[in-house]
Amino acid sequence: MRAPRSLAARLLAAASGVLAAFLLLTGLALDRAFRDGVRDAQRARLEAQVYALLAALDVERGRVIMPPALPEARYATAGSGLYAEIADAEGRVLWRSASAVGLGIPWPPDPDPGEHAFARVRATDGQALFAYAYGVQWEGAGGALPLVVRVAEETSAYEAQVAGFRRSLALWLGAASLALLLVEAALLRWGLAPLRRLAREVAAVEAGERELVSGRYPAEVQPLVDALNALIRSGRALIERYRNALGDLAHSLKTPLAVLHGAAEGREGPEALRAAVLEQAARMQRLVDYHLQRAAAAGRSPAARAVPVAPVVARVLATLEKVHAARGVALESAVGPGVRFLGDEGDLMELVGNLADNACKHGGRRVRVSAEADPEGRLRALVVEDDGPGIAPERRAALLARGTRGDTRAEGQGIGLAVVAEIAAAYGGTVEIGHGADLGGARVTVRLAP
Amino acid sequence: MRVLVVEDEAALRGQIAARLREEGFAVEEAPDGQEALYMGGELPVDAAIVDLGLPGLDGIEVIRRWREAGRGFPVLILTARGRWQDKVQGLEAGADDYLAKPFHMEELLARLRALLRRSAGWASPVIRCGPVELDPASHEVRVDGAPVELTAFEFRLLRYLMLHAGEVVSKSELSEHLYEEDADRDSNVIEVLVARLRRKLDPERRLEPIETLRGRGYRFRLERAGA
Repeated sequence: MRAPRSLAARLLAAASGVLAAFLLLTGLALDRAFRDGVRDAQRARLEAQVYALLAALDVERGRVIMPPALPEARYATAGSGLYAEIADAEGRVLWRSASAVGLGIPWPPDPDPGEHAFARVRATDGQALFAYAYGVQWEGAGGALPLVVRVAEETSAYEAQVAGFRRSLALWLGAASLALLLVEAALLRWGLAPLRRLAREVAAVEAGERELVSGRYPAEVQPLVDALNALIRSGRALIERYRNALGDLAHSLKTPLAVLHGAAEGREGPEALRAAVLEQAARMQRLVDYHLQRAAAAGRSPAARAVPVAPVVARVLATLEKVHAARGVALESAVGPGVRFLGDEGDLMELVGNLADNACKHGGRRVRVSAEADPEGRLRALVVEDDGPGIAPERRAALLARGTRGDTRAEGQGIGLAVVAEIAAAYGGTVEIGHGADLGGARVTVRLAP
Repeated sequence: MRVLVVEDEAALRGQIAARLREEGFAVEEAPDGQEALYMGGELPVDAAIVDLGLPGLDGIEVIRRWREAGRGFPVLILTARGRWQDKVQGLEAGADDYLAKPFHMEELLARLRALLRRSAGWASPVIRCGPVELDPASHEVRVDGAPVELTAFEFRLLRYLMLHAGEVVSKSELSEHLYEEDADRDSNVIEVLVARLRRKLDPERRLEPIETLRGRGYRFRLERAGA
C-alpha cells in the first residue's frame, strides 16, 4: 500500500483544485460579459451613424441625394473601415459611400421599416465587419418611400478592446490565484503547527530528552496528547515494576543460594545436605511464585477494555466447583449482569480465583462472590464471603503485607492474599479483611479506585 | 490402575513415573502432545497427568480432543504458570484438577488418588466395602479392623476391584488396567492372584468378597459403605 500523503499536501491539493475551477469559471463569465458589453456599444455606435446619415440625406423623385461633406470623413476614403449604403425596398442600392467602392459586404437581411438587424460578417476582401441595417419609411414630397440604411464598421477596435481586457483579466486572476495559494500555504503551516510540534515532542520523548509530551494543544489534538502521555506513563510504570520484580527476585534468591553453597562445602553428612537442599528448594519455590505473581498483575492500562465481571466469576466458580467437588462446597455468584471491570481479564480472574479458592480451602462450605458498582456499572468493590471459621484480626495485616519477601512467610500461609493485595494496588485499590455477618465467616473486600 | 503421564521434560516425567510405579500404578509415558493424544485415545488408561506446556500440540488441546472423542478418564493438569487464567482454561477444556509446578510428589499422589476415587464414585478417602477397608494412601488393608498383609500386585488387584465394587470386571479388563502396555500378560496369573486374595481376606470363607461370574469375570460383591 502506498503511504498516505501528508495532510498539508492533501489540503493544498484540494484547495488548489477548487481555486483553479473557481478562477476558470470566473474568467469565462467576466470575458463573456465584457464581450457582450463591447458588442452592444458597437451596435449603439452604428445606430448613431445611421441616424446621422438619415439626418443628412435627401430624397428627390425617388433618388437619394447626399451632401458632398458627410458627417464622418471616413465615408470618403476607400478602405477606411467605415462603410455605408442606402437601398430601396427591392434591394437596389441607391447610394453607396466612397469608402465601400469595390467591396462586397454580405449584409444582414433587410429589416422592415422601424426594425433593425445586426450581425458580424466577413467582407469579400476578408476583413471582419459589424454590419447594421435599419428600415425606414421616408416621408417625402412624392409620398412614402421605404428605404434600408446599412452601415458597417470593421471589428479591429472591438478585437483590440477584447484582447486588452483578456490580457488584464489573465494578469489579475493569475495574481489573485498566486496570492490565494500563498495565503493558503501560510494558513496550512499555521494550522498544522501543533501537529508538527507534537511530532517533535514525541521524538524528544523517544530520544529520552523529555519525560512526557508537554504543552497545551488545540482542543482537537489535546485528547490525543493526554492519551499518549497516559500510555507513556503506564508503560514506564510497567517497566519499573518489572525491573523491581526482577531485582527483588534476583536478590531474594541469593540467600538460599548462599545456604546451599555453605551446605555443600560443610562437613555435615549427606542427610543434612539433603535436608538443606529440600528446605532451600522449597524456599526458592516460594520466592519465585511470589515474585512471578507480583509481576504478573497487568494493572490498569489506559487502553483497558471493559470486562464483564459476571461471566469471569462464573467461569472461576465452575472451575473451583470441579476442583473442590469432593468437599461439596456451594459456590454462588451475586454479581449483577451489567457490572464491568476496567482492566485486564487475567487480573480479575486472579482476584476472584485466589479469594474464592482461599475461602474454599479454609473451611468454607458456602462461598459467595458479590460486587459493588457505580451508577455507570464500573466495578468498585469485589466481595468474597464464606461460612468458615474466619480470619483472626491479629493475622489480617500479615496476610495482606505487600512487598514483604516471600521467604518471610510461614509455609502453608499461601501467597494468595498477598497477590490479591498486589493486584489491588496495581489498580490503585485496597484490600480489607473482615467478618461477614451474613455467612458468618471471613469477608474479603477488594476496593478499586474510581 | 493405569496412569498416563504426559510431560516433555524427561527428568520430571521419569521421576513421576517412577514414583507412580512405586505406588502400584501401571504407567504409560508420553513426551509430547501427539503421542499423548494417541495413548489417551487408544489405551485403557484410568487417569492422566498432563503438563500444559507441551511442544507441538499443547496440553489443553490434547485434553479437549480426548473429551471430544468421548474419553472420560480423570485428568490432572500440571502448569508452570500459576495464573488462574490457565487453571480455568484447563478445567474448561475438560481437566478435573490442577497442580502448579513445582509440586511435592506426595501432593501429586494425593490428588491423583482423589481423582481416581471420585471417578469411581467414592467420596471418602478410605474405601470401605462391608468389613473390608482399603486405604489407597497408606496401602493398608483391614478386615474387621485387623490388618491384612498383601503383596504389591495383590494390593493393585484389590484396589481395582474395590474401586469398581459392584461392577463386573473381566479378566482382560483387569490385565489391561494392571499391566503396562509392553508387559507380558498371562490371565492365569490373575486367576492365581484372585485365589490368593480370597484366602488372605477371607480365610474362613464366610464373607465371599470376590465372586466369579463364569465367562464374564469377577465382582467385588460386598456393599460399598459411605459412598
